[in-house]
Amino acid sequence: MKPVHARRTRLWALLSKRVLIGAALLAPLQQIDAQAQQAIANRAFDLEQAGKFTEAIAAWRAVIAAGDAPQGVLGLERIFSQIAQDDSVLPALDTLLVRHPTDRVLRGVQLRVLRVLGRERAARQAFEAWTTLLPGDPVPYREYAGQLLADGRSAAADTVLQEATRSLGSTKALLIEVAQLRAALGLWHQAALSWRDALEAQPYLEQAAVYSLARASAEHRDSVRVVLRAASGARVRRVLGALELQWGAARDGWRAIAGLTAADSAYESWKEFADDAERQGAWLAARDALAAMHRERPTAALALRAAAASLSGHEPGPALDLLNAARRGLDSAQTGRQLVPLEVRALTLLGRPADAEARVKESARFIDESARRAYSRQIAWGWIRSGEVDRAQAALGAATVDDEDEIGAWIALYHGDLARARTGLRRPAEATAEVVTVVALLARTRADSSVEVGAAFFALARGDSAQAAARFERAADELSDAAPLLLAIAARVQAARRQDGLALPLWQRIAARHAAAPEAAEADLEWGRALRRRGDAGGAAERFEHLILSYPQSALVPQARRELVAARTGASVS
Amino acid sequence: MTGTEREIVSRRCPRPPSRIVSALLCVTLAASTLRSQQLLVPMDDAQQNHLKSYGLAFTALKQGSKIEWFLNYRGGSFLLPDDPATRRKAALDGVTVAPIGEAALSELRREIVAGNMDAVALEKAPRIAIYAPPKSPPWDDAVTLALRYAGIEYTQIWDDEVLKSDLSKFDWIHLHHEDFTGQMNKLYLGFRDAPWFLEQRDRDLATAQRNGFANIPALKKSVAARLRDFVEKGGFLFAMCGATDTIELAMAAQGVDIAGPFSDGTPMDPDADAKLDWAHTFAFQGAHLEMSSGVNAMSDIDGHQVNVPARRAPLGQFTLFNFSAKFDPVASMLVQNHRNVIPDYYGVTTSFTRALLKPGVSVLATEEGAPWVKYLHGDYGKGSWTYLGGHDPEDPQHNIGALPTDLALHPNSPGYRLILNNVLFPAAKKKPLKT
Repeated sequence: MKPVHARRTRLWALLSKRVLIGAALLAPLQQIDAQAQQAIANRAFDLEQAGKFTEAIAAWRAVIAAGDAPQGVLGLERIFSQIAQDDSVLPALDTLLVRHPTDRVLRGVQLRVLRVLGRERAARQAFEAWTTLLPGDPVPYREYAGQLLADGRSAAADTVLQEATRSLGSTKALLIEVAQLRAALGLWHQAALSWRDALEAQPYLEQAAVYSLARASAEHRDSVRVVLRAASGARVRRVLGALELQWGAARDGWRAIAGLTAADSAYESWKEFADDAERQGAWLAARDALAAMHRERPTAALALRAAAASLSGHEPGPALDLLNAARRGLDSAQTGRQLVPLEVRALTLLGRPADAEARVKESARFIDESARRAYSRQIAWGWIRSGEVDRAQAALGAATVDDEDEIGAWIALYHGDLARARTGLRRPAEATAEVVTVVALLARTRADSSVEVGAAFFALARGDSAQAAARFERAADELSDAAPLLLAIAARVQAARRQDGLALPLWQRIAARHAAAPEAAEADLEWGRALRRRGDAGGAAERFEHLILSYPQSALVPQARRELVAARTGASVS
Repeated sequence: MTGTEREIVSRRCPRPPSRIVSALLCVTLAASTLRSQQLLVPMDDAQQNHLKSYGLAFTALKQGSKIEWFLNYRGGSFLLPDDPATRRKAALDGVTVAPIGEAALSELRREIVAGNMDAVALEKAPRIAIYAPPKSPPWDDAVTLALRYAGIEYTQIWDDEVLKSDLSKFDWIHLHHEDFTGQMNKLYLGFRDAPWFLEQRDRDLATAQRNGFANIPALKKSVAARLRDFVEKGGFLFAMCGATDTIELAMAAQGVDIAGPFSDGTPMDPDADAKLDWAHTFAFQGAHLEMSSGVNAMSDIDGHQVNVPARRAPLGQFTLFNFSAKFDPVASMLVQNHRNVIPDYYGVTTSFTRALLKPGVSVLATEEGAPWVKYLHGDYGKGSWTYLGGHDPEDPQHNIGALPTDLALHPNSPGYRLILNNVLFPAAKKKPLKT
């Protein structure tokens, strides 16, 4: 512990320093020109940025002495906050407020510092003093309520806004604070209404509105949507677009702003939306926005970007249309280097590997060896998707295919080599429905080979769904450990062929013989649906009830409940 | 039987004189343990489907069971008998239930006795009638929607049944947005040529003529008077939306022409306002009629006046009062909820002007600082009535032709719970008042 006299010495030093500061501030201010004032402020900033806080404090005091009290006090507030001496700004403030009692910056700093220090009563008194000085001014209410909201003290902010209503007659001047308060209280519908009004009055609030409303939970978002959709203004539409994007409904977001006109700066809005959508991987929404921009101001670069987004969104058809539009603005070299890579990808995804091969051949002189190898793999993929294993191997040419290779895995699968397929599909590049099905099957069975499974997937790849379904059913006898899954795949294929009569026995077989299998709940649901389509509402209801009661933890239970109500009432299921 | 129950049963088994006797004893004890177990239907946030919980309670009553309603306990929970049929229905409907044994139930009852809670016995499934035109779609009426979704049986009645049949066979009659002044909610202003409007007008005119009335206003006034008689003799009336203020106006204007010329061919009585007799109404007094036939409002009872753009008040949220469950059980039943503050919603009549309430009317929900209230209850003769403003609690801006509300998407709707509280309220066993 320090001796008492040492502490007294420190205290005296501190007090004398404060007295000196007060004296300096109370001294008549020397008016200097603006240029000199700015130079003093710049120096203070530089010292603050350099972390020389002691010198910076003196410099900001000099700024105050030079006549710019608000800027100087803000500087002092920042520094004292960084060195955890927030209360040190208060003496200076007390002195300055005597001179400038209605200065909004000084009053705001005073409120903020008192709140930071936890002196709630003093903060409240400072707020009341401010409102007494300026009874008709909304700024004190805005400042205090805003600070309380920032602290998450919604109830206290609500009290301040109610006082504002009584004193000012309305909260029209406090639209933002009211909107923020309502959002903080979880009153999303009302918050959306407030933000809608605020946006009409003040255009710069778009980001604030998005930030505030984005926090609405899923069950309250519809009420926000209803309010914002009812507005026709471009700003509100842009906010809705951004919100939908953040909420994971990017296509709805695009629909919100798709109708904007040139007068609404549509192109810029679409561009911003497309950038955001691309960043979030909402590819189809990005594609739509880019395509709209392309229609408005066509350029090859935009069409290429839109096509790339479409491909990333697994929609190769529209991508091809966009690429055709881009072709007109590109020379041969640009086509070979920029367009062909996307075109090859689109064509192979569409199951047109022969066309892809032709495009590569046409642009051969612009394609280097590494690109050629990449194309070979993509084209081989295209052939595999078509079930043309031999042509896939031919497309690969001399390229080696190792055990870890995905293309090799698919070829192995079609040959019934499940062990190699399992190795190659350990980390699939894409999680398409087909890949998920194969990976699930390979994880389910311990068998290392099955000619029947290979033939079934091969038939499916070639589009021979009748043969595929029959093969999957036969494979269920061959691989007993994956039998329910294979039967379910067969049934799904039959259902997709609209062959309820052939699917039904498969679902029944799963439900009867594999009641503990993961597919059993799905079997009940699909069995019930098939019965309902046949007009057997009673039988359907029985299946749905069986599902709900037997598999209460299944994710299909909510669906089954809706189907059950529909079966009982004859309503349609949306 | 759970592991714990098995343990309890086995502990209770005395030393066996023989294996057969032992087995019989165990079976008897197990049966008595199971019989003593009941199902608690929590109605707080733990409940997955609040609305179907009412259907579960109603079905139990319908099957002759006696159930209990724990007012203010976990959002107004129910205690049902634990039988396979109830468990099955709960599972199928997605209603959260929890088995509760004697010991836990005793503890729960002690908690209820100690706090602002009460246990109300429900003994008989109420016989419900909904006053709605024969061809009305179910989604046009929030009560029909709620009852259908919850699986609660009701009978649909219309003017002929009200005028000619014995209403005492019902415990509960619901009215929705019918206009008892006979002016068809003044919708002629915007929909006079709409096929559905013409069909409704023709249907009501035919009903009026069939029952010996000259016009629709006369028919509806007579229907309103019959409904008042129903309440006076001990019935329970629940009204929402436009039925609330228009039945009041119709009851107050039995001998006065308050209908515009578009509905009965004659202008309103210019002194109609002064001639209204509020002695025979349920809730309001001193209201002023809207004398202009070009303004889509009936009177100044509605605080929001949604169909008059210049007067339309914005929606806020209303707060349910927390009544004393032991001293005010009826009001408590009507406000049981897992939310105290509920977002407001428009209707032809959205709210009720506070200044026009009769003394003795209980305000169940109000919007803080607003000159209107949302939810009212009162007694009349031997019966009672409840008014709830607004059309559809989950469709705040409900418009004509709007898509129906799918309650499967709102299984926890606090607004719809208010409607269903009213459905079960007439099932309560009447206790002598404690005050």
